[in-house]
Amino acid sequence: MALVTARTPLELTSGDNVQPQPLGVFARPTATTGIKGWLFSVDHKKVGILYGAASLFFFLTGGVEALLIRTQLARPGQKLLSADLYNQVFTMHGITMIFLVIMPMIAAFTNYLMPLQIGARDVAFPRLNAFSFWCFLFGALFLNSSWLLGGGPDGGWFNYAPNSGLLFSPSHGIDFYALGLIITGIASSVSAVNLIVTTINLRAPGMTWSRMPMFTWMSLVVQFLLLFSLPVITVALFLLMLDRLFGSSFFNTALGGDPMVWQHLFWIFGHPEVYILVLPVFGIVSEILPVFARKPLFGYPFMIFSGIAIGFMGFGVWAHHMFASGMGPMSVTAFSLATMFIAVPTGVKVLNWTATIYGGKLKFTTANLFSMGLIAMFTIGGLSGVTHAFAPADTQQTDTYYIVAHFHYVIFGGSLLGMFGGMYFWWPKAFGYKLREGLGKWHFWIMMIGFNLTFGPMHILGLQGMSRRIFTYSANQGFDFWNMAATIGAFIIAVSVAIFIWNVWVCYRDHRRNPVACEPDPWDARSLEWITPCPTPVHNFDTIPVVSEVDEVWHRKYGHDEAGRPVPIATRAEVVQKGDAEGVHLPSPSYWPIVLSAGLPLIGYGLIFSLAWAIPGGILVLVALFGWVMEPSTDPDAGHHDEHPSDAADGGDAAAELEGSEEAEVADQAEDAKTVELEGAPVG
Amino acid sequence: MMQARTRRSVARVVGGITTVVLFLSGCGALRDDKGRPLNTLSPKGPQAQRIDDLVRPVFIIAGIVFVFIHVAVVYIAIRYRARDEDPDPVQTHGNPRLEWGWTILPAMVLAILAVFNVQSIWQLEQRDSDAMKVTVVGQQWWWEFRYDTDDDGKPDIITAQQMVVPAGRQIDLQIRSNDVIHSFWIPMLNGKRDAVPGRTQPWSLEADKPGIYQGQCTEFCGLSHGYMRMEVKALSPADFDKWVENQLKGPVEPAADSLEAEGKALVVNRCLSCHQINGLDDKGESTGSDRPVEHYRGADHPLTAANAPNLTHLMSRNHFAGNMFDLYEPGSALKGVEPVGVPKIDNLQRWLQDPHAMKPMAADQNRGMPTLGLSAEEIRKVTSYLVTLK
Repeated sequence: MALVTARTPLELTSGDNVQPQPLGVFARPTATTGIKGWLFSVDHKKVGILYGAASLFFFLTGGVEALLIRTQLARPGQKLLSADLYNQVFTMHGITMIFLVIMPMIAAFTNYLMPLQIGARDVAFPRLNAFSFWCFLFGALFLNSSWLLGGGPDGGWFNYAPNSGLLFSPSHGIDFYALGLIITGIASSVSAVNLIVTTINLRAPGMTWSRMPMFTWMSLVVQFLLLFSLPVITVALFLLMLDRLFGSSFFNTALGGDPMVWQHLFWIFGHPEVYILVLPVFGIVSEILPVFARKPLFGYPFMIFSGIAIGFMGFGVWAHHMFASGMGPMSVTAFSLATMFIAVPTGVKVLNWTATIYGGKLKFTTANLFSMGLIAMFTIGGLSGVTHAFAPADTQQTDTYYIVAHFHYVIFGGSLLGMFGGMYFWWPKAFGYKLREGLGKWHFWIMMIGFNLTFGPMHILGLQGMSRRIFTYSANQGFDFWNMAATIGAFIIAVSVAIFIWNVWVCYRDHRRNPVACEPDPWDARSLEWITPCPTPVHNFDTIPVVSEVDEVWHRKYGHDEAGRPVPIATRAEVVQKGDAEGVHLPSPSYWPIVLSAGLPLIGYGLIFSLAWAIPGGILVLVALFGWVMEPSTDPDAGHHDEHPSDAADGGDAAAELEGSEEAEVADQAEDAKTVELEGAPVG
Repeated sequence: MMQARTRRSVARVVGGITTVVLFLSGCGALRDDKGRPLNTLSPKGPQAQRIDDLVRPVFIIAGIVFVFIHVAVVYIAIRYRARDEDPDPVQTHGNPRLEWGWTILPAMVLAILAVFNVQSIWQLEQRDSDAMKVTVVGQQWWWEFRYDTDDDGKPDIITAQQMVVPAGRQIDLQIRSNDVIHSFWIPMLNGKRDAVPGRTQPWSLEADKPGIYQGQCTEFCGLSHGYMRMEVKALSPADFDKWVENQLKGPVEPAADSLEAEGKALVVNRCLSCHQINGLDDKGESTGSDRPVEHYRGADHPLTAANAPNLTHLMSRNHFAGNMFDLYEPGSALKGVEPVGVPKIDNLQRWLQDPHAMKPMAADQNRGMPTLGLSAEEIRKVTSYLVTLK
């Protein structure tokens, strides 16, 4: 059995003697650059970027599916797609956009930013973090491989039983759905635990709950939503898988099952899922608007509590997706009332953002345009949501294009616009250069036009009776005009996305040809991630900052005059760290996350086609688990060992935090705290 | 200067009012049902009207909030655009009183609306004492309607695609499904209710006036979901009684040795294994009664094509195959009771020739109409018999 071989340390040691710890089975990866640097990295920033890249790739896939749907519906009676193919395409469009685009993009932002915003060097469990990504990616590829292996799932993303049963959907598509979502669900559950532990345990000294940046707050709420809702869908998916692959009858009425069980399980997950998709973006916007209004977020505590309230109430409204299902008037009344009142905390957020920009000094960067666009567009989605909280009205609206319009105003007009804003905002943080503002504005305005032209008319179509998920319609139903408008809109959206991709490409190319060092804190921003230079150095912080304010970075740069207007007290260059620290211990790369993940889809293929495939998959998983547990999270040869007595006093060492132990060094770092006392200090 | 400003604000007010008027008239136009047979905004019965009454103020309040937020965002964007000479803004951190205000105010508005909401939910569950019961059965991909005219617990009329009801009388629906979940929806008469296998779901509708009201299955039910439509034909009470009388009659018997008789022989031979013709069992033997058999072929088949539309009075309907294809030439569709239109025979012939070219189905999995492989001559005989089934 080979032992870990001696080699140059990955990081500089702190000078203590290195204890040989012959635990690994194979030599650990050491590369930090090139393709291997990406495949085996456990750095939360690289994992975040990988999540983002995968999300954008699937965004294009889901976008092509959307264009196919819109082309089919452009005119009545079109035969571009057969009914069968249309059903697969709209199913995969929904699954892709929800599970493979928005969720990983949220994971990208959370992975990259949350540790930076709380002043941590990495997440609590770095290898688990890498595992989450690879597990998601392989699950996503597994799901999409159904296209090549007999056709995609054709039951809709909601996949109601018994239409999802073997009798009614005999192709393998829905097996891919069940197993693919179980695999990506593992990724999200693991990630949720990891990020919750990180947020609770790894905050920098002084980073109290009431000083945490709003994005971190909202993603914390969302991780709890994931933690509690994913087990429910996982149970439902297992029951579905057992019904389809092993002949059980949980949803088969003829054998005593009940299809309504699926609906309840699905929506107990499915409704919190909506908030999972949108709350982090509320956080993103709450970060961007104050920066470009040069004013703090209006009502920070209200924004936190409304986010938490949405999270709690989000678990109590699921059956509003089932008002037409015949639950009986008592259940309908309860869920209808609960749904009406979930509008209140959401409304608070919209009004607080409006109050944040009111009286500000608004700079219309692309990031800010997207954020303000979100206020306007999400408001439309929120208001149409209130109209179907009224259960009798919902019996007219549900399963029509009015609902399609509603949730696209929430998920596109909310999540997606906010995420584009976030990308323009944090691009320099991640890559060290800004995206072009001019192209960005073209992107924004064309996207706004296309978006409203696509989804605005769907309100009318739905109210005029156009059902969802119909593969075509007739000329005498009065749907022709607005469908054509929506199709044109969809292609305009495609143009805006092409502009975005072009923007990314030219900026990347220019930066490669002529790398210009990014100015520190390029937006004159507020939260802690901007105390690190751009792009973020691998060790994040030279010294862990001591936090004493909400908007810590802003308060290090500005004091107040008597009128409450900001007065510069330090330049950005003075506030931002140099990024040149040495001797920082970091978690070491590992093969096992990607190897373990690679086994799971093989088991999936095994269950669907032939158990022979499951054998190599199972072996991979077992070997990877074995390798994983035998391998210390930080390579001993890289100069670290756990019982290092001076870690706590070693101001630059995150290792103590990475093991989840107490942060005892607050007092020692007081010199890092900012020294100016401010009047009228914010809450916290 | 002052005048210019006044003029400008006058222009703005006028422009604003014009926009609002145009917007509202646009909304008014949406309520028009001409050319929009599924419009939810043109209620034609008390249930649909009740829903409309409930939601209209909600739309108006939502519209006001929409205008308020959008005007605010645009105003703020213009008014507070950064100009270099401006000082940085005062760092206000919030205003708890204001924030509690805009938490409580919407909650109160919603609380008031909630009263009407709850009222409507319960009222829509109530049934008139004289309501007429109709059993609705959804299956891939068409709707069946069963009437029990003599209250003996067995259906006396089984029809499909078109539910015929008396205008001005509440219909008490019992909605069921034979296979997957469907949803029964006639937008101008009421909202929708799912048809769930294993359950009987109560629902109701009522048409104020005679007329035809279109519907569409709205719960995704597999391959041909888009082609699963239905309609409600409301008749005056007198016409409705005539319709019932006609439906209770047995099938028309063709003259011996006619083309129709040959057609009937083919139908008995090829169609009765799935389709029912009242008075005949699936072997073509007489059942000794003009009433339909509820469980044709002995049992409720969970999904198989054994559940095919009853053909006894085929030509008393307007459309076939999920209410998708005309049985009568355009302009001669039936409005009243008397079947007087000109049959659109070529539609039926195409259907018998190759049903899958007209409607996506999975007959190889027993879901939908199979291709029978009839010769053109046979198809001519079959259709000549079918068009007599009035």
